[in-house]
Amino acid sequence: MASISYLVARLLQIIPTFLLVMVFIFLLVRMLPGDPAIAMAEAKATDAQVEQIRHNLGLDQPLPVQFVIFVKNTLTGDLGRSIMLKAPVTEVILDRLPTTIFLALYSVVLAIVLAGPLAFLAASRVNTTTDVVIRSVFQIGLSMPVFYIGLVLLTVLAAQLRWFPVGGYGKNFLDNLHHLILPALSVALYTSAIILRNLRASLIEVLDADYVQFARAKGLSTRIIMTRHVLRNALVSTVTLLGLSIGNLMSGTLVTETVFAIPGVGRLMLEAIFARDYPLIQGLTLTFAVLVSVVFLLTDIVQSMLDPRLRKA
Amino acid sequence: MKRLLPFLLGAALGLSAATSALAIERGGSMSFARYDDSSIIDPVWADRNPDLWMITSLYETLLRNGADGVIEPGLAESYEVSADGKSIALKLRDGLKFSDGSPITGDDVVFSLDRARNPDGPWAGLLGSVEKVTAEGGKLTLSLKQPDPTIPSILATFNTGIISKAAFEKAAGANDQEKAKAYFDNNPVTSGPFTMKSRVAGSSMSFARNPNYWRAGEDGKPLPYLDEVDFVVIPDDATRILKLQAGEVDVAEFIPFARVGELRGDANLKMELFPSTRIIYAPINTRDTRKDGSKNPLADIKVRQALNYATDKTMLIKLVTFDTGKPMTSLMSAATQLHYGPEPLYPYNPEKAKQLLAEAGIDGGLDITFTTLAGSADDATLFTALQQMWAPLGVNLKVEQVDNPTRGAKNRSGEFDIHTYGWANDVNDPAQVTGWLGYYKQRQAVGTGWNNDEFNTLFEASNSEVDPAKRKDEYKRMQEIYAENAPLLFLYETPFAVAVSKSIEDYVQTPLGANDFSAAWRAK
Repeated sequence: MASISYLVARLLQIIPTFLLVMVFIFLLVRMLPGDPAIAMAEAKATDAQVEQIRHNLGLDQPLPVQFVIFVKNTLTGDLGRSIMLKAPVTEVILDRLPTTIFLALYSVVLAIVLAGPLAFLAASRVNTTTDVVIRSVFQIGLSMPVFYIGLVLLTVLAAQLRWFPVGGYGKNFLDNLHHLILPALSVALYTSAIILRNLRASLIEVLDADYVQFARAKGLSTRIIMTRHVLRNALVSTVTLLGLSIGNLMSGTLVTETVFAIPGVGRLMLEAIFARDYPLIQGLTLTFAVLVSVVFLLTDIVQSMLDPRLRKA
Repeated sequence: MKRLLPFLLGAALGLSAATSALAIERGGSMSFARYDDSSIIDPVWADRNPDLWMITSLYETLLRNGADGVIEPGLAESYEVSADGKSIALKLRDGLKFSDGSPITGDDVVFSLDRARNPDGPWAGLLGSVEKVTAEGGKLTLSLKQPDPTIPSILATFNTGIISKAAFEKAAGANDQEKAKAYFDNNPVTSGPFTMKSRVAGSSMSFARNPNYWRAGEDGKPLPYLDEVDFVVIPDDATRILKLQAGEVDVAEFIPFARVGELRGDANLKMELFPSTRIIYAPINTRDTRKDGSKNPLADIKVRQALNYATDKTMLIKLVTFDTGKPMTSLMSAATQLHYGPEPLYPYNPEKAKQLLAEAGIDGGLDITFTTLAGSADDATLFTALQQMWAPLGVNLKVEQVDNPTRGAKNRSGEFDIHTYGWANDVNDPAQVTGWLGYYKQRQAVGTGWNNDEFNTLFEASNSEVDPAKRKDEYKRMQEIYAENAPLLFLYETPFAVAVSKSIEDYVQTPLGANDFSAAWRAK
């Protein structure tokens, strides 16, 4: 009962968030320097053509009118037509979104697979050579920008050793796993460095806690101590961090998708901004907002499952 | 220079003697790494280069741009301009077919040209002089409101590509633009050398050979030689080059000039520098007062000439284009028809610059703002170099960095001193670039506010001049006036840099930028 009302309350919180996001998007896009009609018209257009474009976009209407139209259309799922791609924004985004989600999940899975076991190893041998080596290697991952890691991986593993394709996107699931391994890895290296640091620290803390000592004294098996007592408690803060880093990861896709030539929403956002494609920028920002909200919601739910105290909040 | 050009173009088109007919091999595919994706390859609605430069691969025009820029027959086997210049008669070839096997008829031509004249389309102005297009069987007539010497060039331009009326009308959509999008998205019927085979938006695209294409190859059988051209979209320059070096693609376009030298040394590649109509220049605000009301020193022709003399073009070409560029010899590139420019404009001469400034009565120094694109490495280099070159003259050059739309807005409002800009012709005729850069009534002479009566009158006259010799003279005079008045900082021309695998022959990027795969072939 308690958990359902928690869920409902949590869901209701999303509504004001979205309203704020919509106001924000609307104003932000219009505060960008440069006239979108001029940006779209290309230099060759005459002033009359520019005026025509402004009119077609409704940009000659007063701001409040534009906002009401924007909200009304958005609520009915109509995000307008992309100026650059000459197609409905909803269609364009739905077309590109799966790629980005795939890349994000892929890199999160890679990050967990990389960081999880190594964090355990490091935590169980605190301040030994193993611990120091693991920490230093991941420190490098943390201190290099994602695009740089990407270019290094591309140059060495793809262009020179030819183990993987240089950028691009696959034709089916397995092909995608193969094509996206380098971009996923370059994002994962960064994320895993964060996870590793945090998980190692909380593991050390929990392993030292009284209730773990007590469990050991009770004669429980290591496996049960680890899964039931250590992991569950150590994961709470790591899950929060993972949720936050997925939010960051969404912005990271802007760069990663461009370097690796992946047709996702991140690259699309970059192109839309350069082209001052208002409808597309608005649609994409909204999409990012929805994605991040969903991730945070899931994070909260997982946390409330790990830590029952949170359900009362 | 001018003499070299036909040779260069001929070589680029693979028509030089070096390519023997025997060597050509048919079949196979070629993969091509692009910097951006096509969103709508439609003659009427396309307005971005990634779309424009692919149109003639899918849609054939009535006339074609030949190797040396001369207009040649296309789908029309002949054309004739009437004595008064107000009507053009064309005759379609016999037996022409679209990719689906249906015949290409006069009705399709009328339909395509009427679409191209839709005033909402971005290119409608190119056919502004056309009053009516009619067809009787394969005999076509274009009736003009006034004589227009550019029409044959326009009939060889992408916007007049021929589309199947029957197939296009079946496409879904409330208006022509929506229909065009639906048509493009659903493997359209085509008249050019290729058909659309498949496409994944933002990622890849495939052209397949159009078996009904009319032009014959060197072996007497129909073009194209290749069965397929596969495109992948790789926006990042470094990644695109890596993809080529890894052997995953055969061609990578838009190689940054900084990498040209390195790729020339790669034994598996040919580093092509295709002659282009691309020019890099900087419009100068020539109005008497600046937007803020202060007196504008650049309104004085001598100051503009001085700045041009004080600019070491050879150095800029070395710094920015890594010696791949050429100095400008006219307002238009040397690859443009009716170009006149016996020598580079304003060769570096700091003494003369100093003298001109003195004559203009400038002695207390000069504050000038140079508006550049934020994030552009080329612009940053240009600014730094100019600042140093001009400092000895007492010019205090300040930089203002803006994004592209802001720069466009400033150009339109006249709120600048000097800013960077670039241009490439879309049409194989000098009227487009000349109108853009010099004709006041079009866009205030590329935003400079330069309003020269003699130039304007000549331009208007040349636009309805039916005598080619007279038109040529008018163009010579216009280019002389423009060079002398210097409403621009004349910088340089740049080529299209494309790296091609040694196994691919005869791929061409034309001076207008169009990709021509029709005679490309793969050596096995």
